[in-house]
Amino acid sequence: KHRRVSENIDIEDRLESLITRVGEKSTSSLESNLEGLASVLEADLPNYKQKILKILLECVIKLPEKLTVYTTLVGLLNAKNYNCGGEFVELLVRHLKEALKTGEYESALTMVRFLADLVNCHVIVAGSLLAMFDNFIEVTLEDSIPQVRSDWYVYAVLSALPWVGRELYEKKETEFNKMHLSIDSYISKRQKIHAPALRVWTTDHPHPQEEYLDCLWAQIVNLKNNKWQEKHILRPYLAFDGVLCEALQHALPQIIPPSHNEETNYPLPRVIFRMFDYTDVPEGPVLPGSHAIERYLIEDHLNRIIHSTYLERKDCAAALLSFPSKNKIPLNYMIVEVMFGQLFQLPEPPYLEIFYGSELIELCKLQPGSMPQVLAQATEMLYERLDTMNVSCIERFANWFSYHLSNFQFRWSWEDWSACTLVDRELPKPKFVQEVFIKCMRLSYHQRIKDTVPESFTSLIPEKPNAYFKYEMEGAGSLPGTMIAHQLMQAIKSKCTPEEAVAIIKDLPNPLSDDDNEPNYHPLRIDVFTSTLLYLGSKSFSHSFAAIAKFHFVLKMLSDSEEAQIHLLRTLFEVWKTHEQMMVVLIDKLLKTQIVDCSAVASWLFSNEMSTEFTKFYVWEIMHSTIKKMSKHVEKLQKEAEEARDRLEAARRRMADGLDYDEDEEMPSEEKVERMEEKLEIVQNQQKRLFLIIFQRFIMILTDHLSRCESKGHDYNTPWYKWVIERLQQAFLLHHELVFKYIQTLESLLFTSDIDFHILEIFQQFCALRS
Amino acid sequence: SRTEQERLLLQSCTLYIGNLTFFTTEEQIHELFSRCGDIKRIVMGLDKVKKTPCGFCFVEYYAREEAENAMRYVNGTRLDDRIIRTDWDTGFKEGRQYGRG
Repeated sequence: KHRRVSENIDIEDRLESLITRVGEKSTSSLESNLEGLASVLEADLPNYKQKILKILLECVIKLPEKLTVYTTLVGLLNAKNYNCGGEFVELLVRHLKEALKTGEYESALTMVRFLADLVNCHVIVAGSLLAMFDNFIEVTLEDSIPQVRSDWYVYAVLSALPWVGRELYEKKETEFNKMHLSIDSYISKRQKIHAPALRVWTTDHPHPQEEYLDCLWAQIVNLKNNKWQEKHILRPYLAFDGVLCEALQHALPQIIPPSHNEETNYPLPRVIFRMFDYTDVPEGPVLPGSHAIERYLIEDHLNRIIHSTYLERKDCAAALLSFPSKNKIPLNYMIVEVMFGQLFQLPEPPYLEIFYGSELIELCKLQPGSMPQVLAQATEMLYERLDTMNVSCIERFANWFSYHLSNFQFRWSWEDWSACTLVDRELPKPKFVQEVFIKCMRLSYHQRIKDTVPESFTSLIPEKPNAYFKYEMEGAGSLPGTMIAHQLMQAIKSKCTPEEAVAIIKDLPNPLSDDDNEPNYHPLRIDVFTSTLLYLGSKSFSHSFAAIAKFHFVLKMLSDSEEAQIHLLRTLFEVWKTHEQMMVVLIDKLLKTQIVDCSAVASWLFSNEMSTEFTKFYVWEIMHSTIKKMSKHVEKLQKEAEEARDRLEAARRRMADGLDYDEDEEMPSEEKVERMEEKLEIVQNQQKRLFLIIFQRFIMILTDHLSRCESKGHDYNTPWYKWVIERLQQAFLLHHELVFKYIQTLESLLFTSDIDFHILEIFQQFCALRS
Repeated sequence: SRTEQERLLLQSCTLYIGNLTFFTTEEQIHELFSRCGDIKRIVMGLDKVKKTPCGFCFVEYYAREEAENAMRYVNGTRLDDRIIRTDWDTGFKEGRQYGRG
């Protein structure tokens, strides 16, 4: 018996490998492979039907780039065994309904497309597919639903039409035309307030940046005008027309979209990224135009390849470069456009930013003769278009480019960009170059960058990072803390205890003291202690961390109010202002060790003394990592509190049912759970307060700028304004899921109708993302 | 034991990084590896005798997934012009920072 079981497993494994691998490179033709496989499966159906259906279903969802290979296989199986075809359709429909209910829209999209292509393989009756599409389109007539809902259902239909349009046109022309008209009317009345928030470039020059549904609609209209003929989709079933024609077809059951509820998270809208057109491709095959359906199909196909291989960058590169119709299209250009399209996607890229960097390096390695040139051309174009590029994207561009350079010895034709050294430093181009230098320096070292870039760029190269310790500088003698600072330095060097350190700084006078009231913090103690400690630990991150850890109690004691914490941050800035990375890392540490609070960091970043730093990228690196830290903390406490509550409830139910509760299982007491919930409420309030502080400060500085410009009759649209207004936009987008929770509060407290329209507009665009 | 070792490796959030130059600093390593996730700590490998960096380090993340990202995207790319290698490690213990002297 044992042998039987393992034999079964062997066969099942073999089936799985046969099915998942069909359509890969092979010595024989795809058609003969499919035919052979269909026969094998037919023979195994009596014993392994359930297993086979399950594997096929997985292939539908996990290998969407081989969709037509599998529809053909299902078609051949259906021709041989009608019941098996029917069972598969049933299974697929069940999973589609489930996916729509649970909001798995990505797989739902794939399944809709698969069902559509099954019409081509004579598995499904055309009319029944059209009925499903009609049900989807009817969502556009529902009252009081968010636009993202109807958008998704329309998108699901449109994105399947390149596969099945021709068949519907031939078999059901009248009904199909009717559907076309309904979609047309929907498209023409959609709101697009959200679009500006999602655009990579504010201008439509040289290429229009279209809203995704508008763009796909234009492509579909073109396809229709071409009598639904396209040139990209591989259709293996055409070779089996004779066999498939004989097969009996199934009618799809009614598939009605589950009704809307507040919990559902529909996919956010997008703007289609366009960087190249055919004139950018020097020779070889022509790049399909932006409204050609082939452009959509190829991009979609590349996106799907990335989606199924992004975890293995070598496989991903190999799969992208062996694209099926690679000789008929300018593949490298299309890959690069798709990769940057994802990297710049707003609110966030689908995968980790470093994936794109690492993948592009891999692609360069595999195609050393052509990929680096295309990438250089793309970089050049992105640079040329910086002036209108969204700040979040400029930041990602700088992060990617510095990383890329670090893998290619920092070689670049810098001279071509030397014009940027002659203009206002706050303009996007010089700013970008400065930030790239800073990031390159962080990945290598100061001298290396100095030696690498041309003389003319010297003014944009950052200062050499160094700790600045004022108590050892010339003129330190006249500072009130110098003597104590030196004493403290000696003591720390000879390994004093934290208590001994406290004793040394105890006698420092408080500059805030006066006769009337006792100040609530002591700037001089903070200054002397923190700067001395940081200076002594300045050798490396580890040294600094060790110093903070050892004297944690002193730092915590000194910074027991928000003003004190802000002063501590000010001191840190004074010591490390030439070493941005050190500031980023140290503030991260101070937050993690709870020496400073998130709100103190935010207030400090918006403070007057940081105004010279305000448009530098590191300030925003700190801001966003602070917000993220806060939300991680909230998430953690929320999870703990919920789990404890669940455990308590479960134990109570067991007791109520007269069951003994398990002695071993630790049951949290009611008080303990309540304490956890109280604590959660406190941090949730802190989080809300953090967002309120940030948005309020944004409104203050922007309003100030706008009214100052107005009273002086200046143009408000300065470089500074661009950085700041788009940082506001970024604060919404980067943390969109959280900010959405507070939208009501923000609307009633901060983004009220009396604030300047330029600021209000950013808020409204954000709100429109999900409405 | 060997299975114990394998179990630890499967749960580990720590990577061993090799083929660094002797001059590569903790700061550079932090810059690169923090692009994959939040770093808990970096321990530089030191020469037993001279106590100077000797071409390897340990990077510990807070979450397994972040370490996996580094394995996926940083392993085999360059830092300071050297192709660096990342490997799973069972976790740093005091004393392991010293390489052969």
